[in-house]
Amino acid sequence: MADLSKLMPGETVLLQGNEALARGALEAGVAFCAAYPGNPSSEILESLADSAAGAGIYAEWSVNEKVALESAAAAAYTGLRAMASMKQNGVNVAQDFICNLTISGSGPGGLVLITCDDPSGISSTNEQDARFIARLADLPLLEPATPAEAMAMIKFAFELSEEIQNLVVLRSLSRLSHTRAGIVPGPLPQTRPKPYWDPKVNHATMPVVPLHAKMHEKLARAGRLMAAAGFNSYEGPQKPELLIIASGSSVLYAAEALQLLKAEDKAGILKLGATWPLPEELILDHLAKCGRVLFAEEVDPFLENEIKALYAQNAGRLGAKAFFGKATGHLAAIGENTPGRLAAAMARILGLEWRTVDEAYAKRSAELLAKLVPPREFGFCPGCPHRASYWAIKQTLAVDGRQGLVSGDIGCYTLGVLPTGFRRVNSVHCMGSGLGISNGLGQLGRFGFDQPVVSVVGDSTFYHSALPALVNARWNQSDYVLCVLDNSATAMTGFQPHPGTGRTATGQPGKQVAVESVCQALGLPYAIVDPYDLAATQEALYDALQQGGGVRVLIFRRLCALVQGRQGGHPYRMRVDAEACRGENCGCNRFCSRVFRCPGLTFDQAGGAAVIDEVTCVGCGVCAQICPAGAILAEPRKEAAA
Amino acid sequence: MANHVAAEATPPAACLNQLKKQVLDAGLCVACGACVGLCPHIIFYDGRVAAPDDCGLSQGRCLDLCPQAPEPAQESKRRALHAQAGQTPAPPLGPHAGIWQARAASPDLAGRAQYGGVASALLALALEEGLIGEAVVTRGGQRGAPQGALVRDRAGVLAAAGSIYAAGGSLLALNQALAQETGPKLGLVGLPCQVLAAAAMKAHPSYPAAARRLGLVIGLFCTWNLPARGLRALLAAEGLQGPVKKYDIPPPPAQVFLVETEKETREIPLAKVREHTLAGCALCPDLTAELADVSIGAAEGRPGWNTLIARSAQGESLVKSALERGLLILETPPAESLDHLRAAAAAKRARAAQAWKER
Ligand SMILES: Cc1cc2nc3c(=O)[nH]c(=O)nc-3n(C[C@H](O)[C@H](O)[C@H](O)COP(=O)(O)OP(=O)(O)OC[C@H]3O[C@@H](n4cnc5c(N)ncnc54)[C@H](O)[C@@H]3O)c2cc1C
Ligand code: SF4
Ligand code: SF4
Ligand code: SF4
Ligand code: SF4
Repeated sequence: MADLSKLMPGETVLLQGNEALARGALEAGVAFCAAYPGNPSSEILESLADSAAGAGIYAEWSVNEKVALESAAAAAYTGLRAMASMKQNGVNVAQDFICNLTISGSGPGGLVLITCDDPSGISSTNEQDARFIARLADLPLLEPATPAEAMAMIKFAFELSEEIQNLVVLRSLSRLSHTRAGIVPGPLPQTRPKPYWDPKVNHATMPVVPLHAKMHEKLARAGRLMAAAGFNSYEGPQKPELLIIASGSSVLYAAEALQLLKAEDKAGILKLGATWPLPEELILDHLAKCGRVLFAEEVDPFLENEIKALYAQNAGRLGAKAFFGKATGHLAAIGENTPGRLAAAMARILGLEWRTVDEAYAKRSAELLAKLVPPREFGFCPGCPHRASYWAIKQTLAVDGRQGLVSGDIGCYTLGVLPTGFRRVNSVHCMGSGLGISNGLGQLGRFGFDQPVVSVVGDSTFYHSALPALVNARWNQSDYVLCVLDNSATAMTGFQPHPGTGRTATGQPGKQVAVESVCQALGLPYAIVDPYDLAATQEALYDALQQGGGVRVLIFRRLCALVQGRQGGHPYRMRVDAEACRGENCGCNRFCSRVFRCPGLTFDQAGGAAVIDEVTCVGCGVCAQICPAGAILAEPRKEAAA
Repeated sequence: MANHVAAEATPPAACLNQLKKQVLDAGLCVACGACVGLCPHIIFYDGRVAAPDDCGLSQGRCLDLCPQAPEPAQESKRRALHAQAGQTPAPPLGPHAGIWQARAASPDLAGRAQYGGVASALLALALEEGLIGEAVVTRGGQRGAPQGALVRDRAGVLAAAGSIYAAGGSLLALNQALAQETGPKLGLVGLPCQVLAAAAMKAHPSYPAAARRLGLVIGLFCTWNLPARGLRALLAAEGLQGPVKKYDIPPPPAQVFLVETEKETREIPLAKVREHTLAGCALCPDLTAELADVSIGAAEGRPGWNTLIARSAQGESLVKSALERGLLILETPPAESLDHLRAAAAAKRARAAQAWKER
């Protein structure tokens, strides 16, 4: 990403929402930034890391979100402005710390947590709404609608945090984080306080009850400051027929929906940017003016429920109101909002006609589109080591024959649940939980459970949250085989470095923490295999499965195919000997393209033989090992580094 | 991303699915290897056969070649295969032109062969005479588990001498050799289940290479077999370590399984061994490899000697040629031994018939 410290104040630039947040933080004088990568949040720390030298700040990829926020809090205790950014799931990881930090308070330096939520789970295992943390931990919550507002809000967030000495939460969404908009940068601060923690001051959660009371007071004070900050506003007729209360990206969707319906004179939008604590006065004011209310927010009915509760307190004064939203089914309780969804809801409430596209037309255009777009399944890249790894796991568990189970984890290799991974993953939850599941299964032998257990975990996840479960398994002698799919990259989120790579966020050399050194320290038996070598990998896994007795580790080590591509590419030029290819006959039946399914392989129906798609194939050579006829030929590519 | 992984839908009546359902999942597989090596869908490792993926075809060969497939029933499939070879089933010993007690004359087989070395002697002769150019035998491989190997000369034959009491899927090697449509004639030394599968291969309309190239089939007597992992577990339970030099099942009434290592010879009660035997063997009616060219087993009460049965014309002439060259010593078996052999063969038939009925 670009060095954001080099932007010229006052000159409009096109910035991504995440970059606007990063630049805003720089302008606010942030000194310490930590994060764990995860879509859609990763670019925040990436751009801060790339600006670190220019801006004189510290930026790190932490091993997980909890460590990131704890580290940032420490900086805030010394008076520096600090922040941690993460995706929605990361908030869960950090939650335990957050719920205690809010009691102890955050110290003299402003402390901000940015959560980037992913409605519709576009690149997530869930579409969790992380705003819950604000209510759970009594934290001020800001929800920007546009990149410019995001930039303004993050500056305010630092000030607010310093005012109330507590953490402030800023919530972005995929669409906001990844949209681009013209931004006018402001000046960067020239000075920074010298960090100092007065040893007479403690930041601890005791005594609990008085500090709990103080936490409530802080939130109330935050509410007053937020109400005056100008992030909440109303646009629309004085006495609308419908009041739309919206936050985040839904503010823009709602405005677009009103335009589509040409109903700007009927409905007004109360845009809330400072959402928790609720701006009660403002909301009550508007409720008094309108009998019907629609809530537009993603994903959970957070404002919807809280505002209905607020209304209940004041119902006597306000009289009867009709509320619409997720509870009434006017809007879906799942997935992203769209202008179309909102327009349909508004039209239904207002009794307007809302014509979507003719159904027959929609069907026909979808069919036409399908013809133009080549069919593509959600799958591993050509040459991906995970395909080879799952192949070895599938084949080995089959010959082992004891109905082995595979406990999955979070990363590219989560796709093991799909055909691209031969559906060889039996469970997936959150970061690191695969080892916990395996740990439990590995204790069931005493009850007669006789299925072998394989746990797969990526290298980045290994450091993020697998270690405690692994130590637990070693200690309690849980019986399973751990396969660390070590592609030496956090590939899923964009190749951020991690402890195993030995590089840090800013590209400086750090101290490498190799997976095998962890195994050695724990006294775990381990072996390193190259998943591209299918036979050797299968043999090693088979032997590990037969051994039994405690955790055994196999490190499947092969660089991510995309990283290999950047580093000079794979060694082979592939071709299929059409004469030797058995095609659809007994003896094969398109094994390579139908079962192995690397996108580099296709089947030429007319020729009755497999063909290599030279554009897609990267030349890893793995498919040559699975062809029964030796028809897939790997010839060394001269120019490649072996 | 999907939270729940839908159970895979099963395409209708594909042959591999039938093999999986009727044989593999039913626990009937005896790891003969007939279905392995034909295609990439069926794999063999450490004595086990598995089929992790669907193949999608319904006209394949795997199910047809499987000696343990329930359809057609054992008797009728054997009768058809005998008829194809111009013979009648002739229970309980199967078609035969001559039965002898025999041993190899050559001293290089002593101590290496299981008993009289007749199997190795005849196979080596067939290679030397050019009756066949290559042969599939079974010998110890990875982890001590038996596996098929293609040999071309006497040295290769000798390296495979001796019996390993575990299923080695060695027909895999035969299928791999037969992937070449043309080439020298092939020989096979196999257990009765493998001999049945080899006959099915020769007779299969979609396996012309087998009809063309499969020349000589030497059958071994067999009552039951162990899975490779079962044998290993048995040895481990007995605390036996290091490579095994010889296994043997001395004739009744011994009721023991002998295991000879570098350090010791251990007698394991047969009752213990039977806990590990292949379940599918209980359904096999064939003691003496009735569809072979020649069949070879132990000679009752005569250590170092074999029982030799010549069945086909080819088998008979091979024995004759061996005798003429002084490679074999043949003797007429005592009537009592023959009676015992007939009784044992009839008993295996009856047990299997009963077992099929009870399924
Ligand atoms: C599992 C098994 C069970 C048997 N059960 C009986 C029985 O109940 N009664 C009886 O009389 N004889 C039985 N035999 C046969 C006997 O052990 C001898 O193989 C036979 O008598 C030939 O002796 P030989 O000295 O001529 O063999 P050798 O000249 O030593 O040649 C032995 C041949 O056996 C083959 N062989 C070794 N292990 C295997 C295997 N696991 N699968 C297939 N082929 C193999 C080798 O390829 C070799 O060519 C059994 C053999 C096996 C492998
Ligand atoms: S696996 Fe080999 S034989 Fe089968 S279709 Fe592919 S290239 Fe052809
Ligand atoms: S060599 Fe084969 S497996 Fe590797 S990328 Fe090319 S087609 Fe895919
Ligand atoms: S018995 Fe032989 S043919 Fe049948 S499934 Fe087992 S290995 Fe395959
Ligand atoms: S008993 Fe029959 S099925 Fe079992 S190994 Fe012997 S010949 Fe094969």
